[in-house]
Amino acid sequence: MTEWHLDPEAIRRYAQGPVPPHLAASAEAHLMQCALCRGAISAHVDARRAEAIWHEVVDRVDAPRRRRPERMLVRLGVGEATARLVAATPTLRGPWLLAVAGVLALAAWAAQVDERFLRMFLVVAPLGPLAGVAVAFAGGLDPTREIGLAAPYSGLRLLLIRTATVLAVTAPIVAAAGLALPGSNWLAAAWLLPTAGLTCAALALTSHMTPVVAVAAVATAWVLLTAPTAITGRLDLAFGIGAQVCWLALAVGGSLWLAAARNTVTIKLGRNA
Amino acid sequence: MITVRVQGVTKSFGRTAALDSVDLEAGPGVTGLLGPNGAGKTTLLRIIATVLAPDRGTVTLLDRDPSRPEDRKRIRERLGYLPQDAGFHRGFTVFEFIDYVAILKEMTDRRARHDEVRRVITLTGLASVSAKRIRALSGGMRRRVGLAQALLGDPDLLVLDEPTVGLDPEQRLRFREMISHAGEGRTVVMSSHQTEDVTALCTRIAVIHQGRARFTGTPAELTAQAAGRVWTEAQRSPAALAAWRTGDGTYRNVGDPPDGADLIPPTLEDAYLLLMGEPELEVTHS
Repeated sequence: MTEWHLDPEAIRRYAQGPVPPHLAASAEAHLMQCALCRGAISAHVDARRAEAIWHEVVDRVDAPRRRRPERMLVRLGVGEATARLVAATPTLRGPWLLAVAGVLALAAWAAQVDERFLRMFLVVAPLGPLAGVAVAFAGGLDPTREIGLAAPYSGLRLLLIRTATVLAVTAPIVAAAGLALPGSNWLAAAWLLPTAGLTCAALALTSHMTPVVAVAAVATAWVLLTAPTAITGRLDLAFGIGAQVCWLALAVGGSLWLAAARNTVTIKLGRNA
Repeated sequence: MITVRVQGVTKSFGRTAALDSVDLEAGPGVTGLLGPNGAGKTTLLRIIATVLAPDRGTVTLLDRDPSRPEDRKRIRERLGYLPQDAGFHRGFTVFEFIDYVAILKEMTDRRARHDEVRRVITLTGLASVSAKRIRALSGGMRRRVGLAQALLGDPDLLVLDEPTVGLDPEQRLRFREMISHAGEGRTVVMSSHQTEDVTALCTRIAVIHQGRARFTGTPAELTAQAAGRVWTEAQRSPAALAAWRTGDGTYRNVGDPPDGADLIPPTLEDAYLLLMGEPELEVTHS
């Protein structure tokens, strides 16, 4: 038991909160030892504030620790609720990512053998991220789809979160495969803007059809457009400077439309969603 | 007070008619949809849960029209839904999964949301497994997780599709207790093909068969349909629509009894069997 005690002014200031850290630490060290001062301070403590602090402590202790992907996202500035939604995206699962990586690795290996396969790589590359968007909403792969459809959360917001997640995860895989192409030059990155444009086009179509059908329609159009140019070697038609400007315009236009329509458009995640 | 009103609802998948001009009304308390597999119960519940839109007919939920986007959002804010094959992110813990659904229910404040998650976890008896991964839980416990997520936000309308399917007798009793408690002051619409569940829980029932509502009314009214049509005999009666040997060695016969038959009081199950055996019969009690 100490002979020294906190004076009334120190007790009042400490109880109200705004004291310098070194004084707070000193007061806390003393309070741990002194029942007399603990009794004195209790009369000054705002019960609601104490309740709120205690509640926060209980929540921090009681809530399960976030898993690694969620912790990383929160550290990057993503909201904790959004991080949880991202963690539930079906496309983040290992088997799916391995499949995408496998197909692209095969395409990159084939490109080493024959230049025609290099051109086909550019046709195939945007399909990985696009398929990821479709898979993120495929009924069989999203186990909570039915529960999600009956929830009030905005379909467009969920669509954008999952699409951004898919692109963030699959784009580096495609980029890595692109760097493995023979004589890596601008072609290794030529798929980027088409991918962005095609994704925006697919998202825009989701107000009329489900994401899976929208992606299928866009991917089919893409293959029909680019496969002949890849076979004949006329890559500039789909990947040249002029085409890249068109893809950029499509991506920007699609993004602007999505931003403008975010509160008015109903995304068809299911038949009535 | 009517909180669920379904009028003339028709729904087809391709050439298959799942629902054919179905009417249903429900208010506070537990309303049960009874019927065999493939009868159209799940389709009707998915329409009430705003997951499906009907091809024809009108639906009013909590005094709102779910075909209008703004109304649909408001309904969903006051709706809890347990699908028949409720899926889970099996790598999530119980707490994480229910928290995930709470986010989808737009509970944005983390602390308030976590409080609500803890409330439903306690309510459904999951406190001891809240930190366990869902893949490590038994089927019955997973069903509880499904019910817990449906109870988030204390919804005014609870839609439960076959909530007791796959549960052992003790779990079924516990589930009945929870559903009965949930039905106090709110509207619960649940489906089942277990007549015992319906008898134990429901204040009103609708029997759905081949996409049509064959009966709507109270369990007592359905049971009364079988009065004078259940009898016992030493052997299976050829006049019976259905008959089975009971514990005392006599046969319980359901159908049109012969003269002088030893009639006994019917159960809901007897009435249900009769209704299923006479599909042309349709009865509606207001």
